[in-house]
Amino acid sequence: MLCIALVTSVVVAHGGATGIVKKRMDFMESMGDAMKEVTAMMRGKQIYDAARLRKLAGTIGDHGGEALTKLFPEGSLDKPTEALPAIWTDWERFSALANRLSDYATALQAAADNERPASAAGTGGGMMQGSGAMMGGAMMGGDQAGPSIEHLSAMPPDAAYMHLAQVCAACHEDFRKEK
Amino acid sequence: MRAFRWLGVFVVLGLTVVGLATWLTMGPAVPERDLAGLTGDFNRGAYVARLAGCIGCHTNTKAGGAVLAGGAEIATGFGSFYAPNITPHPEDGIGRWTLADFARALTAGESPDGQHYFPAFPYTFYSRMSDQDIVDLWTAVRSVPPAAGGPPDHGLRFPFGFHQGVGIWKRAFFDAMRLEDVAGQSSSWNRGRYLARGPGHCGACHTPRNVFGARQTDRRYAGGVGPGDEKIPAITPAALAAEGWTRDDLVFALRSGVLPDGDVFGGSMAEVVRESTRFWSDEDLAALVEYILNAEVEG
Repeated sequence: MLCIALVTSVVVAHGGATGIVKKRMDFMESMGDAMKEVTAMMRGKQIYDAARLRKLAGTIGDHGGEALTKLFPEGSLDKPTEALPAIWTDWERFSALANRLSDYATALQAAADNERPASAAGTGGGMMQGSGAMMGGAMMGGDQAGPSIEHLSAMPPDAAYMHLAQVCAACHEDFRKEK
Repeated sequence: MRAFRWLGVFVVLGLTVVGLATWLTMGPAVPERDLAGLTGDFNRGAYVARLAGCIGCHTNTKAGGAVLAGGAEIATGFGSFYAPNITPHPEDGIGRWTLADFARALTAGESPDGQHYFPAFPYTFYSRMSDQDIVDLWTAVRSVPPAAGGPPDHGLRFPFGFHQGVGIWKRAFFDAMRLEDVAGQSSSWNRGRYLARGPGHCGACHTPRNVFGARQTDRRYAGGVGPGDEKIPAITPAALAAEGWTRDDLVFALRSGVLPDGDVFGGSMAEVVRESTRFWSDEDLAALVEYILNAEVEG
């Protein structure tokens, strides 16, 4: 059942994309499918299964680093791409975030068997951060120096997942055009 | 005699024009807040800073800037805005301000020397903040380390750079009304309304603006154009329902940035989650979503 659901969700047209643009849109789509299932687990919409989570996190990790960056040759902006030219003016940050994606996915794998917070609400809101972080600005802003893999691996999987999500968001904030 | 008569007409006309211009550029009268007897609380104020997005705009996080020491460029059709240094630095920040100055800036959009702020600073929303939230926020803002320097001045296209013009804009579009609770709605719905229409300033991006840059309040949350010409989606109850959003989806997305389909918010909403909503309490996120899913269309 699950396999059927996954296969059907991949079959979404990418508005006439061809070549490298189509390739990377499909690539992002398959990463999104893994993230979708991880998210369902984190939200309690799907039974938490550490082995399954490790497999999905592995899939996400395989979509980071050079596997991701090599799909962005300079100037590849053919329609209907959502990529922004900032990718190539700030390649250092773009590739650093791509590497961090793999690192944090690996950390999520390592955290899969850790104890989970008692309530779904414990996924990292303000109350967990303490008031110091509230005014912390750059310290918490997240993209200069995130937590280490070791640190994340010791967290509840829900917290590691939140940090992974922040990597996705950081990259999409700067390098993807919003539809 | 005839020459004198004409001179008189010109003088009267001239005075009328000058008087009218002065009256117009003064902007509307906004009552002072009476904050006497209120005591600020740092922890609550730090939380209000996250509700109101102060840190997101006034901190250049990506460039490694100190907290509240001034923000990155906000590109608009009128030119570039930079949220200034609001650390307690005496020269470069707001170290010489009083609580009354701070309250005036938030609620009336006026600097201590009486200049109008451009409405890129969302005082049209902050004017609805409660007295206690303002006093708490002041305590938290006073607590950050003073930082020297700051971002460049706004770089606005002619003729938008004149702050006097903002007085006329305020007369036309700024209604510094407090939000009274709506009877017959739950306290959480009213809390959500306060968050959305006050500190959270959802409509700054999600409500379309007219040619003068004023929000079209009869089309609240119908979507608009954000900084850098970013397309901002509609978040009316109907638009959200059409996209299949549920209450839980919205709460989780505002907490994590992750959408039900495994995608994440990009663009400026990523910044909103990173610097603001992920810090909100469960109660406040639930209240906001309760309101947004049952929001007033007009008013």
